[in-house]
Amino acid sequence: METSGRSRHQIIQSLTEQNTGNVAATAINQWELMAAQIISIVGEGGFNALYLRSAFLASSIFPWLATPSLSIQVDDRFANLRTSLEGQTPEQASAANGLLLITFSDILASLIGEDLTTRILRSAWDIDAPSQAGKEFNHE
Amino acid sequence: MSDRVNIRRLATGVPGLDNLLGGGLPEFSFNLIAGTPGSGKTTLAHQIMFSLANADNRALFFTVLGEPALKMLRYQQQFPFFDIDKVNESIRFVNLSADLLDGHFGHVLARITEEVKDFSPCFVFVDSFRSVVQSGKGDTTKGMPDLQRFIQQLGMQMTSWQATTFLIGEYLAEESESSPIFTVADGILWLSQNLHRNSVVRKMQVVKMRGQSQATGLHTFRINDEGIQVFPRAIIKPGIEAGSTIAESDRERRIPVGVPGLDEMLGGGLPFGYSMLVVGPSGSGKTILATQFLAEGVRRGEAGVIAAFEKSPSQLLSKQLNAMVADGKVGVIDTRSLDLSIDQILHDLIEMIGRLQAKRVVIDSLSGFELALAPEFQEDFRVSLYRMIAELTNIGVTILMTSELEDRYTDLRFSPFGSAFLADAIIVQRYIEITGQFKRVTSVVKVRGSEHSKDIRFFDITDEGIILGETLSEYDGIMSGRPTVSQ
Repeated sequence: METSGRSRHQIIQSLTEQNTGNVAATAINQWELMAAQIISIVGEGGFNALYLRSAFLASSIFPWLATPSLSIQVDDRFANLRTSLEGQTPEQASAANGLLLITFSDILASLIGEDLTTRILRSAWDIDAPSQAGKEFNHE
Repeated sequence: MSDRVNIRRLATGVPGLDNLLGGGLPEFSFNLIAGTPGSGKTTLAHQIMFSLANADNRALFFTVLGEPALKMLRYQQQFPFFDIDKVNESIRFVNLSADLLDGHFGHVLARITEEVKDFSPCFVFVDSFRSVVQSGKGDTTKGMPDLQRFIQQLGMQMTSWQATTFLIGEYLAEESESSPIFTVADGILWLSQNLHRNSVVRKMQVVKMRGQSQATGLHTFRINDEGIQVFPRAIIKPGIEAGSTIAESDRERRIPVGVPGLDEMLGGGLPFGYSMLVVGPSGSGKTILATQFLAEGVRRGEAGVIAAFEKSPSQLLSKQLNAMVADGKVGVIDTRSLDLSIDQILHDLIEMIGRLQAKRVVIDSLSGFELALAPEFQEDFRVSLYRMIAELTNIGVTILMTSELEDRYTDLRFSPFGSAFLADAIIVQRYIEITGQFKRVTSVVKVRGSEHSKDIRFFDITDEGIILGETLSEYDGIMSGRPTVSQ
């Protein structure tokens, strides 16, 4: 249980560490990939509830995340998040996005289990085997 | 003959359900799993899905209006059948709530069709629809015709997919007649949970199963940590009379009951495959007779099974019985729950009889048995007992049941349940008052189709068990408890 938990956090960490270029654009892309997977399984409402909750929790460290409301437009639901991230330095944006992803996946894992959560994330970000995620991390 | 369609029957993976369905689920059938909230529809669907789905036969599970998918995944994971490795590989969950936001069922149908094309599953589940038709209110509900039409279209589409499909919905019993979906469906499984006094009993009914002879009537099932288990109601199969599967050579056989002298009174032992009722007041020696019956079997290499309702397993019975149980020669049915259905007991009995190859079964006692049942089943105890005995004697075991007899000294009864007619043989034990002492007497009242002794005999209970004494020939009115010397 603990090792698989670390592996999920590792995946997210390595994703955010690799994200050195346009932080906001890459982050939003990752969120959209993940959202598509999760919404297809648990529905829009389920995803929104989880997202709003994790943004609320993350805003205790990064207060500028506090207006996380999802855009009504489904094809650009992370417009507000993009604006928030773009207003920060790349380091700040990357740290905040990492925390948001970790918080979100923690809540999801607490609901549907570590195994299923990691499976969904891997499939969303096209990360195949557990070993691969570990390797990537070691290279960093 | 060979050109006929041969319908494959799929094993559902739900213990007992295949029997109920008449041999399994017909491939490519369109099935409706209907019932009230909390009756176990989603659990049943998941158990079937995880059992059937594999890499070659994939399954799609659509969630529409039922419980939030997050919660469903959270709770269904608690069951061991929920195999996470199958998720996304052979089982895909798809949520359709967004497609329903505008209230347009057309979108939902289009989305379902598209996903089915994309994934080409062998099994499709759509969970779930609460029908908007409320009994009494009728057709004025707006949107109702849409939903009706949608479900009907969905049903039609589902049959054309070359997949075995399931629609899971909340329905009230009265709607079942009016809803067209019930006409379209090939199979209908109806789940309910009934509250009776303080106990809840879950029941399942196969309302319809095209092309198969399903087991009719209501059958109990339970949901425990393992998932759903169905207990098909014992039904006396048409054309099969009780005992008819017993081999011809066995028919003539007599079973020694283990009490010296009693076999002679029974006309040479208890006929094979008979059910015998031993009635008597508290402490008269019924359980001792039952124990000797089992011990005699063990001595002859026949295993036995006892359903002991009188005592808790910890303070189990006599030393003799304990020893037989410890040796694995006699199996004990767990009867601690007070919410049992008779079919659960029967299921456990049959399983244990099969496992031990048992030949002798003891039910001690019918009074305790009745108490252990959920109140709902107590009402038709006699009927259920009849079915149960028929089922058991049919598989070739000989049964001894005990029944408490109220201490009435003015009249004679054999059983408070009127169940005496169920038994093929009856032995009565009584206390009588004679020369200022309570004495035990016994008599064989009935052995169906056989000569038997009409004597009333004294008996004593010693460390060796029941010892028959002399015949009471000079008394009248013994069974009333107050004998007088014959004139």
